[in-house]
Amino acid sequence: MFVYEKKLQYPVRISNTNPKLAALIISQYGGPDGELGASLRYLSQRYSMPYPELKGLLTDIGTEELGHLEMIGTIVHQLTRNLNEDDIKTAGFDAYFVDHTAGVYPTAASGFPWNAASMAVKGDLIADLTEDLAAEQKARVTYDNILRLSDDPDVNDVIKFLRAREIVHFQRFGEGLRLAKERMDEKNIYYINPSFDA
Amino acid sequence: MYIEQTMASRPPMASSEVSAAPSAPFTPSTPAPAPARMMRDMMAANESKCTGKNGRLPGSCAPMVFPYVPMQGQNPQRYDNREALQRGTLFPGLDLPFHRELKTRFPAANTHLSELMALDFAIDELGLYLTTHRDDQEALALYWNYIRLGQEGRKKYEEMHGPLLQTDITEGSFKWLDDPWPWDEGGNK
Repeated sequence: MFVYEKKLQYPVRISNTNPKLAALIISQYGGPDGELGASLRYLSQRYSMPYPELKGLLTDIGTEELGHLEMIGTIVHQLTRNLNEDDIKTAGFDAYFVDHTAGVYPTAASGFPWNAASMAVKGDLIADLTEDLAAEQKARVTYDNILRLSDDPDVNDVIKFLRAREIVHFQRFGEGLRLAKERMDEKNIYYINPSFDA
Repeated sequence: MYIEQTMASRPPMASSEVSAAPSAPFTPSTPAPAPARMMRDMMAANESKCTGKNGRLPGSCAPMVFPYVPMQGQNPQRYDNREALQRGTLFPGLDLPFHRELKTRFPAANTHLSELMALDFAIDELGLYLTTHRDDQEALALYWNYIRLGQEGRKKYEEMHGPLLQTDITEGSFKWLDDPWPWDEGGNK
């Protein structure tokens, strides 16, 4: 069950508005490698996991990603508050504004709305954990890219935190895969699918 | 991360690198410096023990076709909680910044919120670590300790700044609804 705690994992205090930057950062809200996809992927994969460490791992990381989703939403919200007539015409933001005003909507920076096709739940332990390793790397790269595109120190401070989390998650998923492998057939790890076979 | 390849997908070894009989000692065609030759001899000896169905990692005879991430060692080095929150991880071993990062803006002042965030972050990180290292007794003891500390810290925080959970009791009125919410300007002081 989910309980909400009324604080962010890391503080978000953006001094200056910047609609153009908001229109890029929104990709980590609803883009292909963003936090919405991450949380839904992990929270969905956990049902078919056979071992308790993996159920715990996917639940824990999936929940943390929801907290990150909240942080990205907060960044976008603070970057787009009190906009004036010129701000809303900023190239890159105007197309978002026309449909969402200063609301926070799950879409990629390209304008492509969030889509479950960007995530997978294969129902196979190895496939799912390997997918998770890739997902964390893609998220990390997206944060690297945001750091290249942004020179706002308030924003970059939060982005660097979120990026560091992806590296830690990658490590944990790798460890989860190792723990799983130890319980699988030594001679042939693909002999059965522990997520499906008895 | 190490990814092994199947034997079939690796290019065939040059004839100077492999001997005719699998168990024969390795003989380089050109002389190599002593340490490199020793290394090759050791590797060849190990390879001959492996069935030919295994690849090589640090450590011999690793099963192939499987992504491999080294486990974080037990009782790892830790940052102090405030620095951990700034860096995004409790563990120096996992702290790998991008060249474009600017200096952190984490406040020098010790607000109640920043202290609680730092403690809760250490708890998060330890909990995640324990998920894949459930037998690390020292980490577990530290985890419970932080949680106890956190329970006290929470009470203090809530008295000054309002409830953190909807179910926290706030005598007199339903303070849960009060601004600021975490995404508001002023919600992170």
